[in-house]
Amino acid sequence: MNGQYASLLIALPLISAFFVPLIKGLGKKAVKYYLVAITALQTGIAAWVFQQVYTSGEPIIVMAGGWKPPVGINLYIGHFAALFVLIVAAVSFMMAVFSIRAVEVEPIDKYAMLFLLLMLGATGMIATGDLFNLFVFMEITSITAYALTAYNKTGEAAEASMKYIILGGIGSSFFLIGVALIYGATGTLNMAHLAQLAGAIDPTVAQVGLALIVFGLAVEAELFPLNAWAPDAYQAAPHPITAMFSAFVVKAGLYAMARLLYIMQAAESWSSVLKMLVIMATLTVFVAEFAALRQRNVKRMIAYSSIAQIGLIALAFALGTQAGVDAGVFHMVNHAIVKALLFLAIGHVAVTLGGTSLEHFEGLGKRMPLTAFAITVGAVAAVGIPLFNVFWSKLRILLATLGAGYTWAAALVLIASVVEAVYYFRLIHTMWFAGEGGRIGEGVAVSVILLVLVALVIVIGVYPDYAWSIAQKAGSDIFNVAQYVKNVPLMGVGA
Amino acid sequence: MLKRALAIISLLIIGYWLAQGLAGVPFGEDKMLVGQYYLDHVKEQTGAVNAVTAIVVNYRGFDTLGEVTVLFIASTGVGALLWRKKRERTAKTEGSIVLTTGTRLLVPFVMLFGVYIFIHGHLTPGGGFPGGATIATAFLLLYMAFITYEIPHKAFEKTEGIVGMAYVLVGLIGLAIGGYFLYDWIWQDWKFGADNIGRLFSGGFIPIIYTIIGLKVGTELSGIIDNMLKEEVSE
Repeated sequence: MNGQYASLLIALPLISAFFVPLIKGLGKKAVKYYLVAITALQTGIAAWVFQQVYTSGEPIIVMAGGWKPPVGINLYIGHFAALFVLIVAAVSFMMAVFSIRAVEVEPIDKYAMLFLLLMLGATGMIATGDLFNLFVFMEITSITAYALTAYNKTGEAAEASMKYIILGGIGSSFFLIGVALIYGATGTLNMAHLAQLAGAIDPTVAQVGLALIVFGLAVEAELFPLNAWAPDAYQAAPHPITAMFSAFVVKAGLYAMARLLYIMQAAESWSSVLKMLVIMATLTVFVAEFAALRQRNVKRMIAYSSIAQIGLIALAFALGTQAGVDAGVFHMVNHAIVKALLFLAIGHVAVTLGGTSLEHFEGLGKRMPLTAFAITVGAVAAVGIPLFNVFWSKLRILLATLGAGYTWAAALVLIASVVEAVYYFRLIHTMWFAGEGGRIGEGVAVSVILLVLVALVIVIGVYPDYAWSIAQKAGSDIFNVAQYVKNVPLMGVGA
Repeated sequence: MLKRALAIISLLIIGYWLAQGLAGVPFGEDKMLVGQYYLDHVKEQTGAVNAVTAIVVNYRGFDTLGEVTVLFIASTGVGALLWRKKRERTAKTEGSIVLTTGTRLLVPFVMLFGVYIFIHGHLTPGGGFPGGATIATAFLLLYMAFITYEIPHKAFEKTEGIVGMAYVLVGLIGLAIGGYFLYDWIWQDWKFGADNIGRLFSGGFIPIIYTIIGLKVGTELSGIIDNMLKEEVSE
């Protein structure tokens, strides 16, 4: 089949979101099952694209409108994008299934539209090969995220969304100024074309432009000084949406940051921007882990833990070495699985028992054994115990950090990991060794999804080689810019 | 006082830093790499004489599809956040006779002008977004002048969805005929209006897309106005 059909990844969620107003008369149930069907279809397309890219080893270049880049906009679905588009679609599908039980707040038709558009935005951010198009997809992602954060219509949710809107608005204005500066200096917006011209940019312009872009993306990617919105938003958003934030919305921001950094690596002032990012990332890990230690609300605790893991990924990307980027991608995959598992299980508990404070988790081992087991596996994996998937990626990140010569960063991250173990084991202890209670029915669909995710965690933990080889391919997709430029059929404008 | 002083100082530092960056951008020099290509080829490749709309709808149509989506999200988001079971307009004072009569006379003209703007997107400045905003202004006028006026919600919501789907469908037809998403088959394959450049029936699919965008933006902004003007009433 023609590679151009990969544009269906964008077209399908769009057209189905626009279709929702026409079927909302059919009732709540219909809209929810429609959502499940569309996300399943999207997962199918993403699986086809994944299989195409990984068997041929060549990226799919989608040229919108048939115009060759840099005149038109192209999507670049290489090893990285193919992998993450599949993750985005699969997680969305799971959360659509979860939404059938978890979301009872009206209006459900608007929820379905925003849900689909959140998936679309993340897919677009990961797939695009054009700087301004990245901005457009970032806006789609973040504006849906603002609306979905406030969706529960409690005072808490409104406040969280307000914080997010203000920070996000400032961040995207910075990003836009950065894009304008870089366009002014080079005269192009295409990433591959930009990579060719990056060496010739005035070093100050490149530094200012790149730093502004990194700052703008740091709001979406939850890096230290700009992530104050995240714990509130995670706590207040509907449960399926929280899982989507953690599993792929943040990742899209991080990836965009990494991609732009490596695209501009020929610029003279590149290493100073990297140093700034290493400091920001290490602080993110450190501050978030210590903040998580004090939380009594489990959902908020996991939210802080998620931010800390994101900091770890950002650290890996900021090292500027092949080993670091590969490890970062590997951790992104593992973290997406583990955090989808944890947020799904905790949301499930909240829906069944009516809250996420630590008291609700007492005796969970007796009341909802399967869910408690899933949370335990997720928690143990997140700490990084051997034979679970996160162990391998954390190890690789630490080795890469030492390899790049940042001993202090590695030490701080290790200390933070000890803290992480403390609060996760406190949660496990509360679930299994405190409180009493009788069995409660756990719902078939959610249980199956939880078991699939648990199986993934353990399989990757025991046989990490296959997942690691995929991560390496995806990592070189980001790191090897020369190959990236070669793959994009530029038409040689103004050369 | 101290806070304000610190804020001013840090703003000055950031401003200086940005100015340093701007000083390095070569303004006024020939940096038109891609821009020059657009100017040289816009007429033969898209059939539009308005280069901006040709870029926005045709060369970089993907971005416009995204922007339309952003607006759709804004209106959906407002709708989701202000949703209540029963809401009504609770305005208290009727507009003066001058205002209501003036509105009655003006609304058709404003609407007509909005339609004019989006139909002539490939010829004159403007296009779908300003045209749609103008149409929404007409509805805003009606809301301001009459205390009971309401837009027909059901029809507006459905129109919004249908024109949005129409945009994506035009793109998908391009994928089926020309092999690329958002491919302008009307101009590139059929050469429709090739001897007619600069007149109404030309410009490939730009007028079609702009009609879609105009309707979409018009209904969406009117919907936002409607949502924001209503208050919850207890039953």
